[in-house]
Amino acid sequence: MAYACCASKNILRIAQCTTRLMSVYPSHYVSPIVDKNIQNSKGLELSHIPIKAAPNDVNDTIFYGELKQKFLNYITKKGNAELAKELLTKTFEAIKRTQIERLNLGGADQEKVITDAETLLINAIENSRPLLTLSAIKRGGVKYQVPVPLTQRKSYFLAMKWILDAAREKERKVKLPDKLAWEILDAACGQGRVIKKKDDLHRQCETNRAYAHYRWS
Amino acid sequence: MLTHFAFDVTVKTADCSTHNKNKIMRVPGALYAARGRAPQNENDVPFQEILPLRLKNSVSGKADSGADVACLQEMGVLFACLKDNEFVEQYCSKEITKFQQCYKFYMDRKFEAKKTVNQGIVQPGNNLNYKQLNKYLKRYPNPK
Repeated sequence: MAYACCASKNILRIAQCTTRLMSVYPSHYVSPIVDKNIQNSKGLELSHIPIKAAPNDVNDTIFYGELKQKFLNYITKKGNAELAKELLTKTFEAIKRTQIERLNLGGADQEKVITDAETLLINAIENSRPLLTLSAIKRGGVKYQVPVPLTQRKSYFLAMKWILDAAREKERKVKLPDKLAWEILDAACGQGRVIKKKDDLHRQCETNRAYAHYRWS
Repeated sequence: MLTHFAFDVTVKTADCSTHNKNKIMRVPGALYAARGRAPQNENDVPFQEILPLRLKNSVSGKADSGADVACLQEMGVLFACLKDNEFVEQYCSKEITKFQQCYKFYMDRKFEAKKTVNQGIVQPGNNLNYKQLNKYLKRYPNPK
């Protein structure tokens, strides 16, 4: 569509020669809506608009969580999604077991104990999201570490990556689900290595705040 | 002008004589500067037109990209708050939301600006982006 218009520019004045699209779909295609309720309300509106094909890992059930799915994708190695799913299920089991044990032991803060593993995962990710990051920028032959704000997407990515990296840094005998469960539980409480990593990054950004005006990109 | 300089010289000689009489007086450089440097012979250095001496029919888009430094003040406030509260984010939620909103607003505006540039719709007015300017220049090129 986009490159065809370049040739017919002189004939059709309406066609504009814009940058070539890298997407399979032309820009007027709409992303599919997953939520059934929104589908019903918007059905008439979308009846004559071309829609992109539905992604095969998204569904409208209670088992689906956007953040969980994303995390699952990051666990996956070499396309082995089956194994990733198994590992995450085992992680959730480990989390559930420890939390129920904590609940049954009966401490002072018994009402505060969250037993839902997925909520804990979301809490952990939200707690370990960084606000800023450092990016190396060259000025006058010297590389400066400049604090740069992060987009929401990038901060979620970094949080999940850090949690996974912390979980993968373990002894050979320890299994990933156990370590990952610990990291998630730690991060959900606002403790542990991932939270420390985030705080360290913030501290570094604070010390380098004088270079903030060097930013571009 | 010249008389003034002459006066200056006499003063200098008087000064020198008091210190050491054997040394030769230094002529101040200002004397030469007043006379000026002799111009070069124009035939020795013929003019070369290295770059064409006329304006191009296009402008580059470099200036339109602009500086990317946004939300510096919000960042400063956030850093101050974080430092006061020993980097516990709970106590700085107001500053954090303000900072993130600022950055999001900036990114959205940048995205919109890029979209309008890419659309390249020519409109009358003096606040034109580089694509619009290039279209104008293509339609009405500089006289040859």
